[in-house]
Amino acid sequence: MASSCYITFPTTFYAIRAESVLKSQPYSFKMVPVPRSISSSCGTALRCSCENIAVLKEYLLQKDLELEGFYKLEESGLKTPVVTALDLEQQGINEQ
Amino acid sequence: MTRDLNLYFDNAATSWPKPEAVYKAAEIQMRQACGNPGRSGHTRTLEADRLIYRTREAAARLFNISDPARVVFTYNATDALNIALKGFLKAGDHVLYTAMDHNSVLRPLGRLRRDELITSTMIPCSDQGYPDLDYLEHSYRPETSLLVINHASNVTGAIAPLSDMIASAHKRGIKVLVDAAQTAGVVPIDTQKEEIDFLAFTGHKGLLGPTGTGGLYVSSGLDLNPLREGGTGSQSEMDLHPASMPERLEAGTLNSSGLAGLLEGITFILNTGVEEIQKSESHLRQYLYTKLQSINALTLYGPGDSGQAAAVVSFTLENADSGEIGYILESSYGILCRTGLHCAPLAHQAIGTFPEGTVRLSPGFFTAEKDIDYLVNALNEIVRLVSG
Repeated sequence: MASSCYITFPTTFYAIRAESVLKSQPYSFKMVPVPRSISSSCGTALRCSCENIAVLKEYLLQKDLELEGFYKLEESGLKTPVVTALDLEQQGINEQ
Repeated sequence: MTRDLNLYFDNAATSWPKPEAVYKAAEIQMRQACGNPGRSGHTRTLEADRLIYRTREAAARLFNISDPARVVFTYNATDALNIALKGFLKAGDHVLYTAMDHNSVLRPLGRLRRDELITSTMIPCSDQGYPDLDYLEHSYRPETSLLVINHASNVTGAIAPLSDMIASAHKRGIKVLVDAAQTAGVVPIDTQKEEIDFLAFTGHKGLLGPTGTGGLYVSSGLDLNPLREGGTGSQSEMDLHPASMPERLEAGTLNSSGLAGLLEGITFILNTGVEEIQKSESHLRQYLYTKLQSINALTLYGPGDSGQAAAVVSFTLENADSGEIGYILESSYGILCRTGLHCAPLAHQAIGTFPEGTVRLSPGFFTAEKDIDYLVNALNEIVRLVSG
């Protein structure tokens, strides 16, 4: 099963601001429509590898961005992916 | 005589021409990046989102705003002023404003007064258009919550002493709303240095953008109640409008093609430098003012020293209707200007031209001295005609 992680934002402004401030950083990420399996916040979410999500979150918070949620999606073909909300307050990625 | 649309002396109403990039960007946005910003998540939407983000950043840079999320896009300055006044004022508040204020301030305040929600006091202005600061000092009340400052008069060009007025309000804990309709893009505005609480601006005048664009800056820590609520593309499951800025004060699809043009207008200003633009317009105003002074039959209004004035000069000609002069200027000389009360009845009362109004000439950054020479020659002929 492939898995990837997502950061959602309270407003479009912060989604695009995230893209803008991360441009100069060495992390790979992509702006994508919020997966429907994550109940919708704004139309655009940031998709990244699950190894990087905690670091990205810290970096974005340092830049005063407002973030909404953190999710892990495990995908299996066309089936509805399994969504796990992540609690990134703990060390590493602990599933809530 | 030749008629040339360059003989446009109505930049205080809306600027013309715009930099070429403004026209092009608005068209390209409509043709190629036409997604609804904030809504769908596909690539065209993302392109529109990025464009609006860049426009917000550019506006923030121009006004030295540290957080672009505090810049809200509006239809124009009137819209921004309505959002600020109606979103900030509470029942029982007292508001200070000046005689130079435009109907975009006077009418929202008039309605709030009529509905017995607020009281207000008008600060009188000199016949040049400068507010009476002593009067201001004695006008504060315990329930005063807001001072509205008209940064520059659209009738005389007089630039209000912003720092002094803001300091006067702030030492009493009173917030300040600056109406920069006539100054954004042509007079340097530093929101952090001046500690401006709310700044209302339009996109289609000094910022050289299309009509239907403008904005409101709300300093951090101040939350306005939204005037409009609706779709934002975010938090769609909630039955209340999102509280996060800037969407808090933006509902419905933004004018993305207009904002694409506005971005180019602001970029032109940032590249040219506001100080440079101010210097150039101040020179043009002084050139115009001095030439008009040489026509004895005209009465001029507004500061004789253009160092403290936006590029606006008003005049009257004794026994001549200002509307008629405007009509002759266009029909016989192809010169465009604005006559009448300029939506600022109290300003005309202050300078003694109510209710007849004045002829208002407002050159812009692209006006040439030879245009002013042609205008002055036309006015000389009109004076001879009227007096003859």
